[in-house]
Amino acid sequence: MHIPDGLMDPVVLIIGWLLALPVIAYAIVKVDKTIDEKKVPFMAILAAGIFIAQMLNFPVGGGTTGHLIGATLAVILLGVYGSVVIMTVILTIQCLVFGDGGITALGLNLLNMAVIAPFAAAAVLLLFKGRAKNASTFSAAWLAVFMAATACALQLSMSFDLSNGEYGIEGIIAIPTMLAWHALIGVGEGIITTGIVAFLAKVSPETLKMQLGRPDDMEPMAAEVTV
Amino acid sequence: MKRKYVGAIVGLVLMFAIGLVGFYVFSATSGDGLESTMEENGVSEGEPVWSAPLDYGDDYGGSLVMGIVGFFLILSLMLGLYLRARSRKRSKQSN
Repeated sequence: MHIPDGLMDPVVLIIGWLLALPVIAYAIVKVDKTIDEKKVPFMAILAAGIFIAQMLNFPVGGGTTGHLIGATLAVILLGVYGSVVIMTVILTIQCLVFGDGGITALGLNLLNMAVIAPFAAAAVLLLFKGRAKNASTFSAAWLAVFMAATACALQLSMSFDLSNGEYGIEGIIAIPTMLAWHALIGVGEGIITTGIVAFLAKVSPETLKMQLGRPDDMEPMAAEVTV
Repeated sequence: MKRKYVGAIVGLVLMFAIGLVGFYVFSATSGDGLESTMEENGVSEGEPVWSAPLDYGDDYGGSLVMGIVGFFLILSLMLGLYLRARSRKRSKQSN
């Protein structure tokens, strides 16, 4: 879902930067203030792990593939602000070093995958309040992908309208197509995220002593998460 | 670095090496959801504004190396950013 250069109208690109940067800046300040130093190597390994997982596309049918975004996994393990920070690092490296996603579209890519996806996941986890662990993890992962794709589809549509068809894709086509593909890709994200969380609960439960459903800080929850 | 972190790094790189086989068997030639949407509507990618120094590689060996490069790049960057923030914080506290 990495938006390339030349696809979106410049106004939409600017809106992307304007919406993403304040949230990312706030997340960096929050993480800097609250992070437990012992958690940093884990956070770094998680970021690096999500980077390589994103390279492994899986088929969803119809000649289309999807890949893990990883925002929900990061929310579960680090909290929403930790997720925003590591997704920002991943997307920036992908863009600047590997040319994955355009540099002009980096603001939109950050908005979709480093801001909207983590907050959508956190909202679902908050709703479940730690109950039905597998269902809540799957739903959060699915919705994170679906909401990021919805934002991307709206950006395509807005670009089309603002530029009289020079950029983007007409909403009536872009929205259903993007949502249909990403409803399927979200299932893959849900299965992978639920599997990883279940695996961690077995082999390293201490990594899951964090905040399912507490997006407002990075303090551990009293209740341990068991899947 | 603690032994469990080294184990996690080795485990992740091994899983990537195995997962990459599946990627080249099933997915390498297909686009993702956005690329499919663009293709279905006859929209092609524009010229990149920034020429990135690396890419993900176009065969198993190349992608494996690039994945490992990216993995350690992100790992180092995250640890480096943190160490910088920590030393800044500590020098502030000592002043």
